[in-house]
Amino acid sequence: MTAVARPRYRRRIVTSDDGTTQDAATDDAVRLAVMRMFVDEARPPAPNELASIVGMTQAEVEASLRRLADAHVIVLAPGTPLVWMANPFSALPTPFEVRSGDRRWWGNCIWDALGVLATIGSDGEVRTSCPDCGEPLRLEVRDGEIGGDTAVVHYSTPAAQWWDDIGST
Amino acid sequence: MLLFRSEEDIDRWSEMRGTPRGDVMSVEQQWRLARAWFEHRLRPGYRRRTAEEAESVFAAIGLTGPFWSLTPPRG
Repeated sequence: MTAVARPRYRRRIVTSDDGTTQDAATDDAVRLAVMRMFVDEARPPAPNELASIVGMTQAEVEASLRRLADAHVIVLAPGTPLVWMANPFSALPTPFEVRSGDRRWWGNCIWDALGVLATIGSDGEVRTSCPDCGEPLRLEVRDGEIGGDTAVVHYSTPAAQWWDDIGST
Repeated sequence: MLLFRSEEDIDRWSEMRGTPRGDVMSVEQQWRLARAWFEHRLRPGYRRRTAEEAESVFAAIGLTGPFWSLTPPRG
């Protein structure tokens, strides 16, 4: 089997008195590496993979992941350093399946499912079902325009409360 | 954020769960919001929007009022 070369997202070394700027550069490299693997492989990298991709130790990567989670940029699986969500992507299957060509991802909600297509900038479709009647629903994006089944979107939680329990939002 | 067949489905679902109905938007609005929110997410240097910036994105799509507010009301 031929190994597939992965792009590397090495951090820029930036010096500052308090390390804040360097943390920001580190966190951006880690965030981009997570997002790129979601795009390419529909899964997040494990911390040891991330360490190899960005050229840091696993401890540095896990510290960066915690900062990104604290900043609500990603969500970690509770009690672990494993990425659960890097919006719009979900590491776990959800009721929101996204397809583009022969690729497939999971969105965290209908916003995120459409957000996957916006993120990758490609045509595709979202498949879910009505939570009330169970009828399958399909939306499609072609040439930047949305179409598909007749449907409406419901937000049950006010915006100010979304991060109170992001797993339920 | 769920996709329903119709507003009647939302009403039945909310009543069955005993939860108040939230806010409803069209699929077209949701697509505009998804594009505005995520289309630059793969660029280096992304940072989370401030509350004010997020509210501006919502407002540009017609999402206003207390449900979409992220900042304390101005006295």
